[in-house]
Amino acid sequence: MRGRAGRPYSIKTILSVVIASVSILFTVLVSTILYTQFSATIRSNATLSTREIVRQINANLNYYTSDILSIATYARDLAKQTDTLSRSQIEERLNTIVASRPDIVCLLLFDVDGTLLLSTMDVPMRPTDEIISQQWFERALGKEGNFYFTGPHVQQLSKSSYPWVITYSQQITYRSETGELDRALLLIDMNFWAVSELIQTARLGKSGYVYFIDNDGKIVYHPYQQLINSNLFNEDLESVQEHIFGTFHTTFEGRERLVIVDTVNNARWRIVGVAYIDELMAGLQKYTLIMMVVILILIAITIVVSRSLAAYISRPIRELERLMNSVEKGDFSSPPTVAGSQEVAALSETFAVMVRRIRALMDDIVTSQEAKRKFELDALQAKINPHFLYNTLDSVVWMAEQGDNEGVIRMVTSLAKLFRISISKGRDIITIAEELEHVRNYLIIQQMRYQNKFEFTIETEEGTENLATIKLIVQPIVENAIYHGIKYLQEMGTIAIRVYRRKPGAVVIEVRDNGVGMSEETLTKLLDFGSEHPKRMGFGVRNVHQRIQLYWGSDYGLEISSERDVGTLVRLIIPEQPSTAPLKGVTV
Amino acid sequence: MRRTTPILLALLLLLTGCTPKQVVDNPRIAVITMMQGGEFWGALKNGARSARSATSAVLEFFGPINESDYEGQIACVQSAIDQGFDAIILSPSHYTRLKDVVTKAQAKGIKVVLADTALMGQAADFLITADYREIGAAMATYAFTLFGEDEAINALIIGSLPNTTTMTNLVESLSAALKTRPKSRIVSSTFSLTDEAIAYDITSTALDGDPTINVVFALEEYTAGGVAPAIEDHPGVRFIALGNTRYEIQLLEESTIDALVVVNAFNLGYRSVLAAVDLLEGKKPAQQPVDWALVTKESMFSEEHQRLLFQSIQ
Repeated sequence: MRGRAGRPYSIKTILSVVIASVSILFTVLVSTILYTQFSATIRSNATLSTREIVRQINANLNYYTSDILSIATYARDLAKQTDTLSRSQIEERLNTIVASRPDIVCLLLFDVDGTLLLSTMDVPMRPTDEIISQQWFERALGKEGNFYFTGPHVQQLSKSSYPWVITYSQQITYRSETGELDRALLLIDMNFWAVSELIQTARLGKSGYVYFIDNDGKIVYHPYQQLINSNLFNEDLESVQEHIFGTFHTTFEGRERLVIVDTVNNARWRIVGVAYIDELMAGLQKYTLIMMVVILILIAITIVVSRSLAAYISRPIRELERLMNSVEKGDFSSPPTVAGSQEVAALSETFAVMVRRIRALMDDIVTSQEAKRKFELDALQAKINPHFLYNTLDSVVWMAEQGDNEGVIRMVTSLAKLFRISISKGRDIITIAEELEHVRNYLIIQQMRYQNKFEFTIETEEGTENLATIKLIVQPIVENAIYHGIKYLQEMGTIAIRVYRRKPGAVVIEVRDNGVGMSEETLTKLLDFGSEHPKRMGFGVRNVHQRIQLYWGSDYGLEISSERDVGTLVRLIIPEQPSTAPLKGVTV
Repeated sequence: MRRTTPILLALLLLLTGCTPKQVVDNPRIAVITMMQGGEFWGALKNGARSARSATSAVLEFFGPINESDYEGQIACVQSAIDQGFDAIILSPSHYTRLKDVVTKAQAKGIKVVLADTALMGQAADFLITADYREIGAAMATYAFTLFGEDEAINALIIGSLPNTTTMTNLVESLSAALKTRPKSRIVSSTFSLTDEAIAYDITSTALDGDPTINVVFALEEYTAGGVAPAIEDHPGVRFIALGNTRYEIQLLEESTIDALVVVNAFNLGYRSVLAAVDLLEGKKPAQQPVDWALVTKESMFSEEHQRLLFQSIQ
């Protein structure tokens, strides 16, 4: 994973993004499942309860119409009892029923010509032609046994009142006063408000309603009939006609409706319950809102927690990274120990072991390097002795043969002093005075060997005698001056040794001879301390230079200048170091 | 934490954005009719009440005792202004005298819907009415069917209030339509001030003064109530009226009245409230004239006319 600038994202960012994403995904997933389930349950419950309300209204209506049927049966029985009961007695019994039932407007019996036979009304009737032409009359006539319920209509029996009624009508058999059985039409008018109250008390949701249609799909009763009449309300009769019976969903005028259609017993009607889905699901909208708020709060908490958790997990890793950076810069002082999770602690411990191991290896390297240098120094010093010893002893033998006892004594004494300083009890560092004493003895021996072919001087600046130096660095230079410079001179050679301080903090041991000098080419080769030299010339010089540099670094070493037939000047530059104790028995 | 803060702020904003909008208060609407009683105004108020449940509006009804009391109606409008109603539904009983108080209401930001009658030369926020010119013409046309082509028509026209646009339109259109028939004559065109007694007197006097009068037009229910007894002794006089009171229906059944024009006052009241609510919500109400029907004895129990004619008796 990389950021906009191509840099990899931090572990904290990756962790927080991953934790937050997974948590949010989980929250949304769970919420969606819950919402779907809840929505389905609410919808199912709403459908069930709406269906139950419609069923209840229908049951109430059935109960009501059954009641009317019972009254009709009673009236039918009475109509046959004219042989035992007078007309006024029958009407009195019917009046008792009407008086006890405020919902019943009137109960009448007409003959098939529309003439009134029995009546609970005291008002004059309309003419018979107006009676027989009415729907309730026409539909029931000729169909004995069948009964009919009309839709709400204005009663048209008398000219004095116009109540809205629902009419029950049935053709029955009537026993006339003469005892003959004849066809008659029974009419029971029910107050429309009684039926409409039965329906309007039930509400389906906030604005749902129930209405009735007849077999032809025509509205028998609708609570919004006046609005329908005024074209202020439309009813979706088409979909009801298509479904006939059952429960279905439909969208009408932009609103989803739950429609329940059922058959009304006794009347040839169907009851239609209409509920609006948005109202039924109003609870779901509230739940959705609450859920949205909860989800947003959860997401906010998730983001905060994931960032904190990521910071907690990544902190030890970042600490470890910081320690690694300091080790990378060379700080091995404190082994990294970081507290954190099991893995980070293990990583930290492994890293600590690694750092300790590196430090031990580095110490080993320093030790072995020092040992190697010592070994090399020892090897270089060892190269001087056999060659010189052979020549000196040869001279001693020669002097002994000549009987020069004094010379033998002098040479052997000098040789003894020389070796004493050479050995130096195994020390590498001696004082400048000791080094000069070593050279002095060497020069004495060589003077005797070369029979005063040269003379020498040794001068030291005040206070430099007791400064420290590695041993046996001046003698190879002096040896070189004798063998390659003085040896070829016809006249008396001179070797001048001088010790002085050079600012800052350096000491110069200068060896000047007046020998044959060197050609420029030879000098260049000699100064190139890394190259191989012919005929061992310069071997001792290079040896000294390497030793000084091995011991004190590249700031120190030899400076050589030479001129043919003039002489050579060699300067050994060493650091001004604190003096060390002189060897016992050595005097300068 | 620095990067977390903006995320949290964004979520907070989202949360506040998700909170439900404040529900608009139920608008208070004053319904000011020409008078407190009357079948017509009763049906109008019923329609308004039906619209109340559909709109959640809060309605209060005002009106003077007498239809001709426009001063009383001005006081009602002023009272509605003082009470801080959101809208006023008004049927002005004077087409000029009510102008000032309506202007005053509108200046206060109150929406004014005129129902049935309008104001002269002044546009209210909305007007809902039936096409009274069409009604006037239809009444005349029906009257023509009552007489043979050679018979003369001598008409007495009695309106209710002289200074309302409804009556002006009705009388003008009726008169104009009658004049289109060669043997038609308007004997008198006058107003009862919605008073049965005045209507009776006008009719009696007119019939006594001019026995040739053979058709009376009563353009309002109270007026019709006054005309009916006055024509009892004049069997040849045809009678066409506006309204659907029980008395008028009985007169129709008895053939005293030949035809009744019924304006759907329920519709008028219902749609006035809807229009007022629409205006308050910044919407434009639908323009549609209120329906009406000319009902005769033959058609009075037809399913269509039954519901219109007997709506107040339900």
